[in-house]
Amino acid sequence: MNIDIKHIAKLSRLKIEDEKLEKFEKDMQGIIEMVEKLPAIDDELILDTSNPLILREDIARANKYTRGELLNNAPMVQAGCLVVPKTVE
Amino acid sequence: MELFFKNAYELSEMIRNKEISSRELTESVINRIEAVEDRVEAYTTLTKDNAIKTAIEIDNKIQRGESVAPLAGIPIGIKDNISTKGITTTCSSKMLENYIPPFNATVVDKISNAGMVITGKLNMDEFAMGSSTENSYFKKTKNPNDLSRIPGGSSGGSAASVAAGEAIVSLGSDTGGSIRQPASYCGVVGLKPTYGSVSRYGLVAFASSLDQIGPFGRCVKDVAMLQSVINGYDKMDSTSAYREYSNLSDNLKSDVKGLKIGMPKEYFGAGIDDNVKTAVYNAVKQLELKGAIVKEISLPSTDYALSAYYIISSAEASSNLARFDGVKYGYRTKDYDSLIDMYEKTRSEGFGDEVKRRIMLGTFVLSSGYYDAYYKRAKQIQKRITSEFISSFNDIDVIATPTVPSTAFKIGENTDDPLKMYSTDICTVTINIAGLPAISIPCGRDEKGLPIGLQLIGNKFSEQTLLDTAYSYEQLVGGFKMPAVL
Repeated sequence: MNIDIKHIAKLSRLKIEDEKLEKFEKDMQGIIEMVEKLPAIDDELILDTSNPLILREDIARANKYTRGELLNNAPMVQAGCLVVPKTVE
Repeated sequence: MELFFKNAYELSEMIRNKEISSRELTESVINRIEAVEDRVEAYTTLTKDNAIKTAIEIDNKIQRGESVAPLAGIPIGIKDNISTKGITTTCSSKMLENYIPPFNATVVDKISNAGMVITGKLNMDEFAMGSSTENSYFKKTKNPNDLSRIPGGSSGGSAASVAAGEAIVSLGSDTGGSIRQPASYCGVVGLKPTYGSVSRYGLVAFASSLDQIGPFGRCVKDVAMLQSVINGYDKMDSTSAYREYSNLSDNLKSDVKGLKIGMPKEYFGAGIDDNVKTAVYNAVKQLELKGAIVKEISLPSTDYALSAYYIISSAEASSNLARFDGVKYGYRTKDYDSLIDMYEKTRSEGFGDEVKRRIMLGTFVLSSGYYDAYYKRAKQIQKRITSEFISSFNDIDVIATPTVPSTAFKIGENTDDPLKMYSTDICTVTINIAGLPAISIPCGRDEKGLPIGLQLIGNKFSEQTLLDTAYSYEQLVGGFKMPAVL
């Protein structure tokens, strides 16, 4: 199968530099060929019930972190908000 | 023997009997780090001052006659994808180079409550994707048995630090072999616990349905002790298993009489080095001589495991790593002219090539038109592999295989060939796919003197049986020896 690296990169929100395209294409081709060998099995997929999920109760709780603590790691902050490029004209 | 090379269970006794203080021990480990770290490069971050501070607190508690947990005062290193409040957690990625979590992972709270002394954060393959720790953005960790070789991965720093005496024990994470494979390459003990037995809260997610945190140590008892500290139900992880967890080290016993060991023929075929096969056969033979019953078994779907693993893990990774977009935390590119442009540049500059390959593979197998042929088939094979394991445990107690097909390779040897790198995971990925526990213990060395690992696999939540079997072997061979290279 031929892999359209530029298209997959776009879907993945990645850009592959031109000089690396060929190597990426070759590697991805090899990887796809490796994973392609799976047989079709008609086994039904059912949920594993041996370890049932315990869901928390749907109760609102106060966040234990301050706004400042959470924004400390953000790359760009202004007036207590995350800054991103303009998205609406 | 220097303090930094002693086992945790011995040191724990010495600290509580006041033969040594935690501070003396911690200083011994820090001095060792200062002596060998420039050659091993196991750590991404060192927390020496905090370590000494914690050690003094524990010493004071003991002086006051207060009771402390068994591993109190023992130095531990933590893989750099496990969140530590106030200490950078980089996942060895440029993307998180300056990320400081505002919270602790549950396992970090647990080891801190047990009074353990954190020496620092350990190097790894970027976002735990890799088998050699060469995918770290920061440095290449060396194998303490031979500094020209890789320590394995992705928890390479966790294995190397313990083997080199730069930590007494450590924590790693295992998605497809990332604890067991480096443990095998470095000649230490590494346990991948049953999925759900250790909380993943605060572990930066790679493949959430396969990831599991686990312990490294130089002996089986240390691993059993550390596992007993970190396991248990956690309401912060919805996949955490709600059940009783008994103390694994208190119940540790050296007895394999009547233990049924299965050897799956698919794990001893072409592609496994003769040295490795021989060492594993010999190890099982020794257990047989002590009363274990050994039989050949078959796990026919093993051949498909690597494909299924790379599809499932990459699919989950492509989704999990979508959060790194340069908005809330982590790296952001300098120049951009739109939101999409910012996303693309941020991610392209922040991620290394292997991470990009996995994200793209995951995106591909989940994309429209390919989902049925790849992801769905992989999930069906996963179910088949799991049922083959589970039914084999009707007749046997433990499965014995090699951990890795060969011994540690040279730095740079496989970096240009992702498929060759992936193939080192062939014996370990099946266990994550099936959610089982498995341990790797040293079982000899090849002609170059490089460690070989024996993998013992058990049914879900059979950690005690695995540790008992591993402990029995360790007693038979008179303990495991650490490298004298450094």
